[in-house]
Amino acid sequence: MTAAGTFGYGTEFNSIFDIQKLGAIVCKGTTLTPREGNLQPRLAETAGGLLNSIGLQNIGVKALIREKAPAWSSWRVPVIVNIAGETVDDYARLASELEGVTGISGLEINISCPNVKAGGAEFGTNPGTATKVTTTVKTSTSLPVIVKLTPNTNEIAQIAAAVAEAGADALSLINTVKGMYLDITTRQPLLGNRTGGLSGPAIKPIALSMVYEVAGAVTIPIIGCGGITTANDALEFIMAGASAIQVGTATFNNPHAPLDILEGIEQFMKTEAIEDITELIGAARSQANEKIGRAEIRDG
Amino acid sequence: MKQVTAKIIRNEPVLKELARRHARSISGSWLIWLRCPEIAREVRPGQFVMVRCGEKLTLPRPFSVHRVKENRVALFFTVWADGQGTHWLSRRKAGDSLELFGPLGNGYDIYRASKNLLLVGGGMGVAPLYFLGEQARDQGYALTLLLGAQTASQLYPEKLLPSGIDLVTATDDGTAGKKGSVSALLPDYTSRADQIFACGPRAMYRAMSPMPALKDKPVQVSLEARMGCGLGICYGCTVRINNGLRQVCQDGPVFNLNDLPAEELNPI
Ligand SMILES: Cc1cc2nc3c(=O)[nH]c(=O)nc-3n(C[C@H](O)[C@H](O)[C@H](O)COP(=O)(O)OP(=O)(O)OC[C@H]3O[C@@H](n4cnc5c(N)ncnc54)[C@H](O)[C@@H]3O)c2cc1C
Ligand SMILES: Cc1cc2nc3c(=O)[nH]c(=O)nc-3n(C[C@H](O)[C@H](O)[C@H](O)COP(=O)(O)O)c2cc1C
Ligand code: FES
Repeated sequence: MTAAGTFGYGTEFNSIFDIQKLGAIVCKGTTLTPREGNLQPRLAETAGGLLNSIGLQNIGVKALIREKAPAWSSWRVPVIVNIAGETVDDYARLASELEGVTGISGLEINISCPNVKAGGAEFGTNPGTATKVTTTVKTSTSLPVIVKLTPNTNEIAQIAAAVAEAGADALSLINTVKGMYLDITTRQPLLGNRTGGLSGPAIKPIALSMVYEVAGAVTIPIIGCGGITTANDALEFIMAGASAIQVGTATFNNPHAPLDILEGIEQFMKTEAIEDITELIGAARSQANEKIGRAEIRDG
Repeated sequence: MKQVTAKIIRNEPVLKELARRHARSISGSWLIWLRCPEIAREVRPGQFVMVRCGEKLTLPRPFSVHRVKENRVALFFTVWADGQGTHWLSRRKAGDSLELFGPLGNGYDIYRASKNLLLVGGGMGVAPLYFLGEQARDQGYALTLLLGAQTASQLYPEKLLPSGIDLVTATDDGTAGKKGSVSALLPDYTSRADQIFACGPRAMYRAMSPMPALKDKPVQVSLEARMGCGLGICYGCTVRINNGLRQVCQDGPVFNLNDLPAEELNPI
């Protein structure tokens, strides 16, 4: 799949490769009313990463339904709409607006954008508010609901469990990691919003360990995301327990990245004579359990 | 838009380094020729490409198309003393391959009714204007190119410029051409111009914006912005014009000077 905010509305890639080959497309984060986003600059490259403070600039849900969804209804690839709100009620209204719109196959709830503040904190850093948003959206939609988790917490497993309990159909993780860039000539933060969200290869190890941890805490499917640039990266996430993966920042350097990664996974499966990708999901977890098990037997 | 792997035909320094105190120092400016028929076929003056600068960098770098000759495309780029991508690019050799995608953006728009075109380049601004000038000259337009640089060593070599275009130069320190900024030359050349095309730092546009001599002239300027994707999807390069938000990479990089509010002309 493609990660929200890094693949537009999918239409932009039609001329680049056959997007119908992808597993799913997650479109740009969408809010109830159009948003203009944050002040410039909004991007800063870092070692192995990218800091962004876009601030959810988007056309709003009404324009999305009017201008974008019609094209999606003829596509084979499912399109998932990523939604973001400032209040629990915003999420409910977004889900209701999108209910019954043809061309939309699911919702991804962004409770984790570090660039937009909701009452001073991210919804996703608190199991209570995360549960509330999930329950509310679930009662307002008949579409599958993916909840996207933030890494900016030390309770990710608890939040994951709470959201799963509240009825989420799947989880995606991680969103960007909060970060900053200082310009030593001005002695000020470079980004207009002062802080931003870090993405790209720099966050891959963080994302991977979180996927691994959450996979031990829930039984619903996990979508791994964070720094995936090659098929090998994707395979690591799958082996850590992800049933699917999202490609984000890698698409900027290589617009073909989502397809290259997909083909790389197929190639790996061919070489390793793996018939079904499910054989690989969580492979690292079961082996780790075995190792721990073996150690216990030995120690005992 | 094509994503291609292009062979480097030549990659050579054209301008020397320049140490600067209150601005980024320059390690030289280079001309790189690439074999990429897919882009050469499609590209229009003012459009740009995104170049992947090695495995270590997360973002590709935007560069205007500087020249087109049959199936070859040239870029003209400044290597910043602390610029990771441009340093990497300057070290590529003939025979190496380069990954890039483009052409991107809207490009300049020459009206059919125009006869006399005035091009105004500040510093690296010559990059897209070369392509525009050469193509417009071949289509029969009369052209004047005003070219400015900080100092003589940073002025694009006259012998490399296309023939058949009137050239007027200026340098900040007076080491070549008229002393002063290139925008100061403008008022003397606008009366005959049907259209004006500019590329340079935002400070140049800031100086141009209030000029009475430009008041009723159509002026197209090319903007720079920090870019993520170059494809209109990341919203990193947003600029506010008089009637709303635009993406520099897709709706630009060329905008009408009239449409740009003063606050957008501050340096980024
Ligand atoms: C549409 C467009 C066309 C351009 N055409 C040319 C050209 O023909 N010749 C030329 O020399 N330069 C051109 N530039 C500027 C060029 O993109 C930057 O000089 C280059 O990205 C610097 O890369 P770096 O890795 O050396 O710098 P670094 O500072 O290491 O780069 C860090 C990040 O900041 C960005 N960045 C830094 N400086 C600039 C800048 N001035 N403008 C935009 N982004 C910047 C980089 O792309 C990168 O993402 C153009 C910019 C744009 C937007
Ligand atoms: C420019 C940019 C815009 C993003 N916009 C959104 C968004 O609107 N909604 C969202 O849930 N995540 C957004 N993200 C986060 C990505 O979807 C992804 O979770 C994150 O970048 C980590 O993956 P990556 O390292 O592969 O990019 C954005 C990321 C970037 C770089
Ligand atoms: S650079 Fe991504 S939208 Fe312009």
